[in-house]
Amino acid sequence: MEAPLLGVQGLNVDLALQSGRTRPILRDISFELPAKRTLGLIGASGAGKTVLAKALVNWIEQPLHITGGTIAWRGKDLLGDRQGFGRLRGSKIAYVGGNPAGTLDPTQTVGAQIVEKLLSVQPRTSRREAIEKAVDLLAAVRIPSPSQRFHEYPYQYSGGMMQRALIVDALISDPELLVADNVTQPLDVTVAAQILKLMRELTERFATAVVFVSSSLPVVADIADELLVLHEGRIVERQATRRLVSHPIHAYTQALIGELPTIWQGHGPAERPRGQTTEPLLSVSEVSKTYKVRKRDSFAGYNHVQAVRRANFDIFKGDNFGVVGESGCGKSSLMRLLTRLEPPDTGRIVFDGQDLATCGGSALQKLRRRLQLVLQDPFSSLPPRSPIGAIIEEPLRIHGLGGAKERRRQVRDVMGEVGLDATLIDELPAGLSAGQRQRVNVARAMILEPALLIMDETLSSLDQTEQTKLLNLFERLQAQHGFTYLFISHDLAMVRRVCSRIAVMYLGEIVELAANERLFFDPGHPYTKALLSAVPTLEERRYRPEDCLLEGEPPSPIDLPPGCSFASRCPSAFDRCRSQHPGLTARSSHDLAACFLVEPPRVAARETAGA
Amino acid sequence: MFVLSFLARRLLQGFVIIFLVMFLIFTLLRVVPGDPVRLMAGGMAPEALIEQIATQMGLRDPILVQFGRYAAHVVQGDFGQSFVRPADGAATGGAAFNDASRSERAEVLTLVAQTAPRTFQLALTAILMALLISLPLGVAGGLYPGRWPDRLALYLGSIFVSLPNFWLGIVLILLLSVKLAWLPAIGYQGFAWTILPAFVLAIEMAPFMIRTLTVSVAQVMQEYFIAAGPVRGLSRSRVVLRHGLKNASVPLLNLLGVQFSMLLGGVLVVEYIFDYPGLGLLTINAVLQRDFPLIQGIAIITSAAFVLINIAVDLLATTIDPRLDY
Ligand code: SF4
Repeated sequence: MEAPLLGVQGLNVDLALQSGRTRPILRDISFELPAKRTLGLIGASGAGKTVLAKALVNWIEQPLHITGGTIAWRGKDLLGDRQGFGRLRGSKIAYVGGNPAGTLDPTQTVGAQIVEKLLSVQPRTSRREAIEKAVDLLAAVRIPSPSQRFHEYPYQYSGGMMQRALIVDALISDPELLVADNVTQPLDVTVAAQILKLMRELTERFATAVVFVSSSLPVVADIADELLVLHEGRIVERQATRRLVSHPIHAYTQALIGELPTIWQGHGPAERPRGQTTEPLLSVSEVSKTYKVRKRDSFAGYNHVQAVRRANFDIFKGDNFGVVGESGCGKSSLMRLLTRLEPPDTGRIVFDGQDLATCGGSALQKLRRRLQLVLQDPFSSLPPRSPIGAIIEEPLRIHGLGGAKERRRQVRDVMGEVGLDATLIDELPAGLSAGQRQRVNVARAMILEPALLIMDETLSSLDQTEQTKLLNLFERLQAQHGFTYLFISHDLAMVRRVCSRIAVMYLGEIVELAANERLFFDPGHPYTKALLSAVPTLEERRYRPEDCLLEGEPPSPIDLPPGCSFASRCPSAFDRCRSQHPGLTARSSHDLAACFLVEPPRVAARETAGA
Repeated sequence: MFVLSFLARRLLQGFVIIFLVMFLIFTLLRVVPGDPVRLMAGGMAPEALIEQIATQMGLRDPILVQFGRYAAHVVQGDFGQSFVRPADGAATGGAAFNDASRSERAEVLTLVAQTAPRTFQLALTAILMALLISLPLGVAGGLYPGRWPDRLALYLGSIFVSLPNFWLGIVLILLLSVKLAWLPAIGYQGFAWTILPAFVLAIEMAPFMIRTLTVSVAQVMQEYFIAAGPVRGLSRSRVVLRHGLKNASVPLLNLLGVQFSMLLGGVLVVEYIFDYPGLGLLTINAVLQRDFPLIQGIAIITSAAFVLINIAVDLLATTIDPRLDY
């Protein structure tokens, strides 16, 4: 019998600790990978999957050590022959990681570095051939105007573009094995979907075997023939992909599949019925913000980045309002405007009957109390040297509320409410888990009894289990205190679960505004559809990315072309889209989308957003 | 395009800086105590004569008027004449005032043009020597942080830092010049006279260069692309030489720019000790003699050099690392 392309037997990797002891990272890893097959490797963060991926490319460095087992290439042991292993790297075994922006030298052009790599591993290639091959492959990964892009520097590439270039870098030497370690993790969903499709195509075309590592089961399931499940350093399950998804055996796999959020099953929260008379809690009308950025190549010129363009929406008390979009769509700028970190250039933001722009002094103080922001990053948003109790108490002190005793009592109460143990009150935040840190953030925001909580990617860094717990907590707090939430997020599955009304942003513009159910099952804007098609999910897809999205990336927000901003990627674009700009059009009394294809309801009642 | 707009912007900024320097120096010189006419004419000259000369020279006009007159000349490339130095070159102290010989006073521009090349040569030699010392030490230190090359770099750096330059200069003169007679030391008659002072300066600068290099090399070596290079199939030496060092060179380049400018501004102590006839020595004498035009001229010309060097350094840095944008 012929030896498999890659054979791993009883691989153990240990981490040497400061104390001189060791901690096992990988235990007894054994698997085989035949040529031309794609093996998926899935596990939570900390399960050791990146270490395993790196072991396959001889990238185990201090303080990690391989303490046992073998890695064989076509039956030949590699661990005993590190030099031979080193020679395989880059030529026969290629690696693409999850850090596209940092992989190449920032001071040299992308093309030169790809050529440099090819010439290093295949010295007999002529430079001319190498350049030709690189440009061809750049074209094959659909980098626009590749011969020009060849001469550009890494910083001139977007994340998705860079990942494409790195796939070229990996595949240019015709490797037999590609180790893809979290390749889609830093990318936006629509871009990630395109990268995945591309990898599938290319590895098929070049008959490359792939080890595909990811923490997202739906992503791996999309690409791999077979799956390995890694849990606490051990392989707990190995099955063909379909079978694993439908019949998971190991309890861990079952739990993993069980807690995946679903999008197309069940119902999202419905909007609360409201009478005609209710005033919105937060009303945003015609709000725009343009940033000036100094132009690089000119004497005194500025580029105008239109971060938010004429946003209109209302949020009513008790609502869960969602703002979704990919990076650079303007959702963070919108957050800055709403929290009055910056004034908008035009338009009005009215909160609780108060115009944000005109209120100052004590009115502003009061307003700040009623509108709280919970930030994204649980690791950097807490001061490391203050005890947890003091951190939560701080807003009370700033606003001069209550005496010391009274405040302490309130802190205790709030900690109880968000599920933080009372004994933590005098601890430093250093020992807290990500979930606990996020709870501290929530506690700090809610201690002032705000009316509106703005959650800016608050849950993005948490794993599924923690996310679920926090979402349940939010729900409970809402029921008890009547909070209104504004979720700013890129995570459609999360938004589907909690938001009753959702705004979709693209290039600074709200392109669709609709109730949950309508948005997901009958999106009015092609971009919404594209976004939905790209969400990784194990469920049967309602929309196929191939049909919903053209290749390419969002145009730069500087000097936007006239017409519809989605026109460059929209499969249904037609002439008018390139010259005229579609405004938000009502599809029904509540739902709006900014696309020429939207057909207004017959009784075209002129409604304002969200009214 | 980029280069042109860059140059235009930076040169404009440079002119503003030079103008400010000119204005500051000019006004400061006129408010600090010490009357140049008194020094020129000698202590015995009668008060009335001094007033007369001063008025003739325009020194009693309002400062702004004086400044305007001066600036108008400078723009035409005329930095005026030294108050005290005769055109024939020899430095004079407070020579007796003699109205007739005023026309024979040396042009400031000529004086600077005579001395600046020597200082330039000294600075360049010193920088090269410092690079020779610090490149190997700093790079090795950065490549093996915490190991012996790093410690060697640190120790040598500390020793260099703690050697005072006047002490080192005198010791070297006594040892190499007086005792062993290997190298000439005092005055200037050829390149050999540059070596000792340059070495003293190099030792003075080297610790900063070593430190900068160690830190920047060590930092770059932590970058992901350094680790990823061998995985992509590049040899480690290639990654270090072609990618690591290139990325680490920008901080050093910036430091070189600053140090070079400082050297051009006159290395007062070292030039004084070695009696090296450069800008430093010229400056010292000019200040001692209240030679206003000369002081002003030196200040303006060195600040212009400063501006130019900075522009050159930044331009060079952007060609090394195109992300930089000044
Ligand atoms: S307006 Fe045209 S380009 Fe824009 S989304 Fe609609 S169909 Fe597509």
